[in-house]
Amino acid sequence: MKKILYLACLTTGLIISDAAPAQLLKKIKDKVNKTVDKAVDKEAEKKTGIPTETSSTGNDNSSSNSSGKPTNKGGGGLTNTEPPDVKAQMAEAETAHGAKSYSDARFSLQQALMGVEIQLGRQILKSLPATVVSVPADTLQDKVMSTQWGWNNLSIQRVYRQGDKQLTITIGNNTLYSGLAMVYFGNAGMMEANNEKQNFKQVRVKGNKAIIQYDDSRGYTLMMQMGQTSLIVWECINFANEQEVMTAANTFDIDGIKKMMGEQ
Amino acid sequence: MKRIFIILLAAFFSMQVAGQDFTKDMTTAKSAYDAGKLEETHFALQQAMQEIDLIVGKEVLKLLPPKMDTLSINTRDDNVSANTGFIGTTIHRSYGTAANKADLTIISNSPMVSMLNTVLNTPMLGGMAGDANTKTVKVHGYKARLEKKPGSAEDKNDYELQIPLGSALITFAVDDCTDTQILAMANTIPLPQIAKLIQ
Repeated sequence: MKKILYLACLTTGLIISDAAPAQLLKKIKDKVNKTVDKAVDKEAEKKTGIPTETSSTGNDNSSSNSSGKPTNKGGGGLTNTEPPDVKAQMAEAETAHGAKSYSDARFSLQQALMGVEIQLGRQILKSLPATVVSVPADTLQDKVMSTQWGWNNLSIQRVYRQGDKQLTITIGNNTLYSGLAMVYFGNAGMMEANNEKQNFKQVRVKGNKAIIQYDDSRGYTLMMQMGQTSLIVWECINFANEQEVMTAANTFDIDGIKKMMGEQ
Repeated sequence: MKRIFIILLAAFFSMQVAGQDFTKDMTTAKSAYDAGKLEETHFALQQAMQEIDLIVGKEVLKLLPPKMDTLSINTRDDNVSANTGFIGTTIHRSYGTAANKADLTIISNSPMVSMLNTVLNTPMLGGMAGDANTKTVKVHGYKARLEKKPGSAEDKNDYELQIPLGSALITFAVDDCTDTQILAMANTIPLPQIAKLIQ
């Protein structure tokens, strides 16, 4: 049985090693052909002003995939709905409570809570700086997310971007995540990396305990515990060094955010 | 008789207190909102929601039968605890004695439970899938999972019934009984009315 397995492995290895250079050559050939075709088409388009065949067939292909199912080319998307009207929802909750329809009262209270959370999120977003280490905010990507489960799971997100440099700040209120973070904070032994290069360590952001992590594919991630249940995460892509990440994090008014989130 | 009267009086007053707390919380929420104090509004609203959960829990307890077959109610074990967040509200009642007990627990408004219910309702994930000790049954038209467990003696069995209801889970466990007995008992629980209250 073992012999057969070895034989199979050997054969597969031989096939792969044989096929690999051929595949590589084919790929290079295809790539060169594509580039040459594109260059020729562009030149022809410039001279004649008529779009070439290859570019038009490309568009046709995009409207349906191989299974014949049409691909969505666009739509109006969803319209923005205003967050729940807190005052109206509170009034409804009181009426429902008076009428002893507790399920409705609870629903209205949930809506009111969501309304308050979204307003609070917007207030926090407004308080964030417009630029961080000279990277401007991309306010189109501002996000406030709230779930119906009360204070848990309120997430506020802002992205700062310039070229390929990006900083994403997420302010979250989630007991589960912050609980996990606390495990890290509480267990200093975990911080002591045994590798030659330390990719994980404890730092302080304006006096608050935080952990910073570096990963070649993701860049720097800085996590700061805020009060009992909140957490701020900075994800920094293409930042020069740890110092730049810390300078960026220190630009934020942590105490202000803390106060708005009701943390001590 | 006197004891029952005192218990009833205490229950009445606790309901009154809950009612007052709700109004108080709503007043705080409204004034905090008008003053632009969002975090305070949030806290007061959450308190009001917990009050509602407590009231709902007590209403559910009122709906439950006073007896399960021959087992009588243990009012001391009646318990409602409200929690905002992942745990949700827990309503508990027990019947019978320590030797022969029936236990009813209702967890409502919990996102954790809705996740669990997805598992229970997906046969491939194992919840409703039948093995020798579990089977799917229906109580008042609601799908439920019945599990057989070893009882107090070799020839006796305990049974547990789990009824998923949206973001709520009803668990009913009876010591030393048969599946017919537990189902007969479960059918005396007014599930449609409870579902209306807790969902």
